[in-house]
Amino acid sequence: MKYDTLVIGAGIAGLQAALDLAEQGRQVVVVEKNASIGGRMISLSKVFPTLDCASCITTPRMASVAHHPNIKTYTYTEVKQVVAQPDGSYKAVLKKKPRFIDEDKCIGCKRCEEVCPVYIKDHLEHDLGAKKAISIPFTNAIPQYPVLEPESCTLCGSCANVCPVDCIDYAQEATEIDIEAGAVLVATGYELTPFNAKPQYGGGILPNVITSLQGERLLAPHGPYGRVLRPSDGKIPDSIAFVQCAGSRDASLGVGYCSRVCCMYAIKQAILLSGSLPTADITIYYMDIRAFGKGYEAFYQNAKDMGINFVKAKVGRIRAGVDGNVLLRVERQEDNAQPEEMNHDLVILSLGMKPEWNPTSLAWDVETSEDGFVKSPCAPMDPAATTRDGVFACGTATGPKDIVDTVMEAGNAAMSIGNHLDRAVQLATRNTTHATAQAGGHA
Amino acid sequence: MSERSSEKAKIGVYICHCGGNISDTIDVKRVAAALAEYPNVEISREYPFMCSDAGQKMVIEDIQNGRNNRVVIAACSPMLHELTFRKTLERADLNPYLYEHVNIREQASWVHKGDHEGATDKAIRLARAGIEKILRQDELESIHVDATKHVLVIGGGPAGIKAALDSAGKGLRVTLVEKSGRLGGHLHDLDTIYPSGEKASKILGQLLDRIKATPLITVALNTTVTGWDGFVGNFSATLSDNTVLKAGAVILSTGYDHVIPAEGEYEYGKDARVVTLPKLIEHMKAHAGEPLSWNGKSIRSLAFIHCVGSRQKEGIHAPQADGKVNDYCSRVCCTAALHTINAIKDAQPDLNIYDCYRDIRTYGRGHEEIYQRASKSGVVFLRFTEEAEPRILPDSVVVKDVLTWNQEVEVPADLVVLVTGVKQGAVEKLVSMMKLPVSADRFLQEAHPKLRPVEVANNGFYLAGNCQAPMDLVESAAAAGAASSKIAALLSKDYIPLDPYVARVDAQKCTGCEACLAECSYTGAIFRNPATKKAEVNAALCKGCGACVAVCEPRALDLAGWSLDQMEAMVDAMAGEVLS
Repeated sequence: MKYDTLVIGAGIAGLQAALDLAEQGRQVVVVEKNASIGGRMISLSKVFPTLDCASCITTPRMASVAHHPNIKTYTYTEVKQVVAQPDGSYKAVLKKKPRFIDEDKCIGCKRCEEVCPVYIKDHLEHDLGAKKAISIPFTNAIPQYPVLEPESCTLCGSCANVCPVDCIDYAQEATEIDIEAGAVLVATGYELTPFNAKPQYGGGILPNVITSLQGERLLAPHGPYGRVLRPSDGKIPDSIAFVQCAGSRDASLGVGYCSRVCCMYAIKQAILLSGSLPTADITIYYMDIRAFGKGYEAFYQNAKDMGINFVKAKVGRIRAGVDGNVLLRVERQEDNAQPEEMNHDLVILSLGMKPEWNPTSLAWDVETSEDGFVKSPCAPMDPAATTRDGVFACGTATGPKDIVDTVMEAGNAAMSIGNHLDRAVQLATRNTTHATAQAGGHA
Repeated sequence: MSERSSEKAKIGVYICHCGGNISDTIDVKRVAAALAEYPNVEISREYPFMCSDAGQKMVIEDIQNGRNNRVVIAACSPMLHELTFRKTLERADLNPYLYEHVNIREQASWVHKGDHEGATDKAIRLARAGIEKILRQDELESIHVDATKHVLVIGGGPAGIKAALDSAGKGLRVTLVEKSGRLGGHLHDLDTIYPSGEKASKILGQLLDRIKATPLITVALNTTVTGWDGFVGNFSATLSDNTVLKAGAVILSTGYDHVIPAEGEYEYGKDARVVTLPKLIEHMKAHAGEPLSWNGKSIRSLAFIHCVGSRQKEGIHAPQADGKVNDYCSRVCCTAALHTINAIKDAQPDLNIYDCYRDIRTYGRGHEEIYQRASKSGVVFLRFTEEAEPRILPDSVVVKDVLTWNQEVEVPADLVVLVTGVKQGAVEKLVSMMKLPVSADRFLQEAHPKLRPVEVANNGFYLAGNCQAPMDLVESAAAAGAASSKIAALLSKDYIPLDPYVARVDAQKCTGCEACLAECSYTGAIFRNPATKKAEVNAALCKGCGACVAVCEPRALDLAGWSLDQMEAMVDAMAGEVLS
């Protein structure tokens, strides 16, 4: 099948770019490795500084993409190979992973999920909750197909017995799909910097030290517990701390850059926490508060006025206290320089962003910079361009950024791609005309 | 008077939990049960996320199975999802205007948090009003208007240039209007740009070459927009040379102005050693290769003071001309200052530089490295708070430095550089002519701060760059590209669809009194047909505000989709007893 553009990644960047292109009349194929479109954004609680619930503003974009006549989406599918063609277009091989169900038959009734006896960690809840070994990823997932996890499935047959349309296929295998596209957009997003990168912070060891995305799930209206509890014992936390720059601005971690969103998401989570737990003490230990976007400074000042404690300090070490509490060794940069031991019920590490996918894993000359993100050689005026003609990138694939900046870049990428495709057509027409003129020169 | 669908009205009501946003406060099961009993309701359901694919599929299946032919969904604000569900009806081959969106989140669950009973009752009343309204709804059709395939770009800085090039690349004709005598805006004032260190002049030269090579772009220098009329697809702009330009869409790329410190703020205007960062950059550009000097005196030590004109607090800082302080962060100044400091240090490593800041906000790709470089080159950083700002003495600056246990530190300063922020440019005339929405920080207001940053609530207007919020060059370029992308979509279709919620005249009842004409704020939207002597409406110009309806004594005027009988029925439904 031939498309105008292959979009890799169906987070907010890929969705927005695909929609912009489709609205310009382009045929777009969107490939997402996860089982649902929606990316990281769909799993956030609310977004700063508007406090819109993330689900509420992401689902319309997801639904628009899913139903757009000019967009084809492949979920649970990876890009295996991309090969440039002599005419400047690309051929790609996609690998569609097995869900172990027949998607043509499945009606999304969830009966398989209900009867499955096996509970496994739910990675979409960042392991705070459980799901069944066969399950639909989340309530507003698109598409509404269940995925069976073969490593956990006991082949007990319960799901196959109960399925009303007989769509369970334990023997299903991955399939390959060949496509062609005039241009490629890398919108592969980010993952958090490693939780255990700083062993002295106890990430992954102390149960009440959690990641910022776990914090998002605790605060999400349809999160794992339905309210804010700390993981180790279900206690409602009374004293919560955020440790800023826990994965960024730290050359020793190989992440010397600022991750750009952590200040704002910590402030947002702090505001939401003080809404759910009005009596809780909330402290943010920070180096600099980087509230640089539109409306962000006012959001920060509001948080201060609400009584959230902002402490300019470096956290040196985090260890277990009594009763599941967490002890932070804090070096204040204000007032006095004596290190103090601070006791909190729950600690959230404000981890940074690193690229989710390394495009150099495909042999296609799309280069990355030292920071690991896709190189933008033509920034400032052409930020979507990469080192390869016809391949574009946007969103957090080209460096940490927040949703609004991602959405702007996605729109810009769609524009650059549209103009690239038009130029390619003009060039082809010119070459054809030239060839015709030469061939028929003396006719 | 309404031409209802001949089929009997069968209403489907759906109550959304909004994943707890609604159902944590409102008893959604009780709402659904109460509405199931309401006249004309065939189906009443509740569901965790109506906007999800599964929720929409449920509505479509109910319609296709003949269970309902009019739909009410009680959920979030119609701002979010009215359009989503209209499209759902379209996919089920039902007229999309037979849909009513009832807001029980902002108007019930969120505002009555502790009051489960009251919020639930209110949700039932609001939904009943929605049912009564949609029962009386006509099968409206969207209004189609033709579009002029011509883009007007106002402001010829880098954002405007990029927007013009992008739109022209799409094959659209562009007029780029610039009030000054040259294109390029503030790019002219810069020497090199961060983080790449490229020469601003080189970037500008490339942009101007591309403009010259693009015949679809007409550049109008020394030109402003002086008159404005029309609507999306059919704007008509009067330019300062009195020509009238037809445009289908407009990009505002009017840029920013530098904040000028108040007289006496940090001794600005009183002490000749005190300058702003933009002035220093201009000075360095003009004296490239020379050791830094000011007023003939060579400089050995400099103090930079950040956040001048930004992050201001009421009660501490003097208000701006409109009585408000600039409480926003100007985003670009931290990195711009450090980039300049590095340039000075590269040329003269022995100069002493003191950087007085509140928070260093080197957030962007490659920005933190600029900060690190400055730090390693021996720049001394001092941190102050807005409550205790640095004081300027004749040869020095005194800083109450948070990093030195709040001790007062005196540093020598031959030159004091105020790192001034940016502010909205002079757009007041455009704002009032075009009726543009403005944010509290005076920048132009986008349609949605997260997902629609380059669109304006007014159809056909788009924002590129600093007129919307402070941003650097690469961010302005992205915004310009995004704005052009929206226009490419808008003007690629044969027509532009507009909502059908416009005034309509019952000619039988109209007495031709012209009271409506006097009330209408939109030129040409309602007029008196000289032949019939009755009022008529230009649907493309009417905004559906309803002002004419209110003054029409014979009730000859009504608003399609918001008729008086609909509203009366809604009020009755809301005020009636809740039986459940």
